[in-house]
Amino acid sequence: MAQQNTIAGGPLNVVGKRGPNIDAIERVTGRAKYTGDIDLPGMLVARVLRSTRPHANITGIDTSKAEAVPGVRAVITYRDAPKVMIFGSRQYALNDRVRFQGEAVAALAAVDAETADTAIKLIAVQYEPLPFVLDPEEALKPGAPQLFQDGNLEGQPRTLTRGDVEQGLRESDKVIERVYHCPTMWSGGMEPRACVAQWDGDHLTLWASTQAPFRVHGSLTAMFNVPDANVRVISSYVGGGFGTKSAPHTDEALAAMLARKARLPVKLQYTREEEILDSNTRFETRMYVRVGVKKDMTLHALDVKAYINQGAYHTRLGGLGTQSTHMYKSPNLRTVQYRVHTNVPNTGPTRGVGDPQETFAIESAMDEAAIEMGWDPMEFRLKNIKRNGDPIARGASGTEDGRLVAQVLDKCIQEGASRIQWNRRNAVAGSPTGPPTARGIGIACTERGGGAGLAGASVKVNLDGSAHVFFASTDIGQGSRTTLAMIASEVLGIPLSRFRTTAGDTEVAPYDGGSYGNRTLQGTGRAVEVAARACLQQILVAAGPMLNDAAPTDLEIRDSVIRVTADPSRQVKLAEVMQRRGRSVSGDGATAALQTGIDVERTSGAHFVEVEVDKETGKVHILKYISAHDVGRPINVTIVENQIEGGTIQGLALTQGEEMRFDERTGSCLTGSFVDLKPPTALDFDPRVIEAVIVPNEGTTGPFGGKGLGENPCHPGMAAVANAIYNAIGVRLREVPFTRAKILRALNEPRRE
Amino acid sequence: MASEDREKSELSVSRRAFLKGGAIATGALSAALIPAVGEAQLPDAVEPDPRHSNVALKVNGVAYRKDIPNHTTLLQFLREDLKLTGTKMGCDRLQCGACTVILNGRNVYSCTTLAVEVTGGEVLTVEGLAADDKLHPIQQAFIEHSGFQCGFCTPGQMMSTKVFLDRTPNPTEDQARLALSGNMCRCAAYKKILESVMAASRLMRA
Repeated sequence: MAQQNTIAGGPLNVVGKRGPNIDAIERVTGRAKYTGDIDLPGMLVARVLRSTRPHANITGIDTSKAEAVPGVRAVITYRDAPKVMIFGSRQYALNDRVRFQGEAVAALAAVDAETADTAIKLIAVQYEPLPFVLDPEEALKPGAPQLFQDGNLEGQPRTLTRGDVEQGLRESDKVIERVYHCPTMWSGGMEPRACVAQWDGDHLTLWASTQAPFRVHGSLTAMFNVPDANVRVISSYVGGGFGTKSAPHTDEALAAMLARKARLPVKLQYTREEEILDSNTRFETRMYVRVGVKKDMTLHALDVKAYINQGAYHTRLGGLGTQSTHMYKSPNLRTVQYRVHTNVPNTGPTRGVGDPQETFAIESAMDEAAIEMGWDPMEFRLKNIKRNGDPIARGASGTEDGRLVAQVLDKCIQEGASRIQWNRRNAVAGSPTGPPTARGIGIACTERGGGAGLAGASVKVNLDGSAHVFFASTDIGQGSRTTLAMIASEVLGIPLSRFRTTAGDTEVAPYDGGSYGNRTLQGTGRAVEVAARACLQQILVAAGPMLNDAAPTDLEIRDSVIRVTADPSRQVKLAEVMQRRGRSVSGDGATAALQTGIDVERTSGAHFVEVEVDKETGKVHILKYISAHDVGRPINVTIVENQIEGGTIQGLALTQGEEMRFDERTGSCLTGSFVDLKPPTALDFDPRVIEAVIVPNEGTTGPFGGKGLGENPCHPGMAAVANAIYNAIGVRLREVPFTRAKILRALNEPRRE
Repeated sequence: MASEDREKSELSVSRRAFLKGGAIATGALSAALIPAVGEAQLPDAVEPDPRHSNVALKVNGVAYRKDIPNHTTLLQFLREDLKLTGTKMGCDRLQCGACTVILNGRNVYSCTTLAVEVTGGEVLTVEGLAADDKLHPIQQAFIEHSGFQCGFCTPGQMMSTKVFLDRTPNPTEDQARLALSGNMCRCAAYKKILESVMAASRLMRA
């Protein structure tokens, strides 16, 4: 794709700068309207009745007492639910069979919360309990409780191969074999799920706290069998997504069903417990890894078998990422993924999807292999990472049918090593015994793609020269309102202060997949650039007659003034051009696959952490953390730093808490609150020790060479900390989270030499 | 802009109705909200209901008096009765701090404070932080230093910041971390929040 990274070859005026978000005033004054803040005349309050069983058939539901409560306007059960599954899932909005404790079995809408709370308790459900299973490997054994008629395994095991992994392992000079485990982990945002549904005849407007309005739109048009034009999904301000809001969910369908039945608007806002139980959480992974290396420090074979606990219904949007397949040159590779249904709640895409779990396994295993051979783990990585020009798979495939470009992982490693002073690490890992505290340094690398899928946006320039960007992906906190407007501002030469944005509205913006998977900046951003260029062309054509019939190619625009490039004294203001033109200028932009040839552009990063472990208490202190990332060209440096810093802490959070635990006897979730999950506060990790490093680079497909970033900073934390702990105390942790109890137990284990 | 907003939020409630007394005010507020179908339940304006109380609160400088169910939390009163939705519900059980407001000079979790137990009190919410035409220095600092990502916890972060800086005008960074440790930020924008708090302290001293 042709790439023009500067306007008419000149310097960039907006892109690459630091600066506040354009919606900052709304966010700091309380004026930003999140979905739960919406208040419509006559709006009802919805409540959901949830299954007390992890697995059961529903043999009866009596809603008569609830319906008799004055003020109750609509009650729905599986009998009301369309037999259409939620997009990306095997779940109906309501069904006569429940597959996890906390699944919705009925819902109602009433005039106020008190009435709804009273009435929901009056719905009587008869369950026929079924045996349940919580562990993905147990679920594959003969005789295990079956969730679906075709078994618990989702489809076929997903297998990617290249070379011959068994022969590669035989040819290796050393093979290590390890198992790494990440439990089901909570991944939600500060804002619990929320939606407001309003029907006008057979037209539905749904305000939802979602990352992907058009995915929700597609799910609802299918469910209610109405034309695309009849459903409008609006997701303006979203209080955090982290993937958990990237897939359509039952709540949107329930609100829409209730609103249709009640013929009144309905608000459904989850409690925190509901959000923890019934949203998409990070899936459990157990990974069996074999690494074969040769004496010349080359990685020769990598064999990965992963059991993925998808929970009850989730299907299409998960699985491992690309750490095994895309980061290292291994001539022999095999990854096999068993995606298994169990009776834990729905899992789904969460920041990085499977990449943080996979990074934990792969980057721990690389460390272990290097240390077994007596190599410097960083040198081992530098020797084996893919570099520019190396073969790489274009998609999620084992076959290396493309060629890596615009990669700077080596520079990320070198920059990070320099800042952490890698040479300070213990050349030989510390000991479980000896002094009460010990320090160590660890490394973990990661990579990912970005900008995938269909993106669209439109730009409008008004008669007074102010401008508007419309897009149907969302601003979930990653600052896309700001970065997308900056892209349009750069192209159009209109100051950023003259821009407004409309985010996440399926009725006013072209189709866009949504905000997930490092795709908004790269995909939607490219669409904004295309749309803005379409506007620019119209503006320059209109300006020509006001500048002695200058051709558009002879003109340039900056600070809302159009000048003749060869004679800048000949100029006209944008507002004058627009007013003379007499009508606004609009442009649409769309992008499909950004990467069409054999060139493959990825986004990578390297994390380095120094820890101090207290051997008496098991406490791990993070002393220094370097997050060095490739972001292509940063569009807004402040926003990029904020993403790296926040994502890094989210990755660190997985090392110490956020585990969702389930009672093996009852199938109940034991961690239904923040107190149980312990998401970090300002005291848990000192933010001052985190240093975000933007490694200079320029991408080939994104706007102005920008690359998507959001997922990556969350990937390496678990592996980097595990590697640093090993370097400090010689104890290898292969099960997340690294609780103090686990560290103390590991310290007391008899050592294998 | 902020001051316009403040005026709007004041104008959106009928001050005349509030002066007339709680029950009437409830009716006046609710009439627009209750659908014109079925058995709309208007509150009983005559018989006193022991499950209700008459609550008087000054919020962002405006006096409100209203008859509300005793179990109404301060958060519900602000969001649902006064339509001041800047204050957020994150957990509803004093675990996250998204609902933080300033009550009589102290930062409190409004999700677990009953409105009746603080009757007669003075409340400051994010909507009242800006005065006249000017953003509060804390707001300026959070804007300039991007002390947020999704913004959902931001009102609470800023209210805790205000109480902290009012008491500790020249803080250390460690004091600031401790003071804001009751306000979770899931985006984990803690580094930029800390920078914002320290910048706000400089602005407020200047």
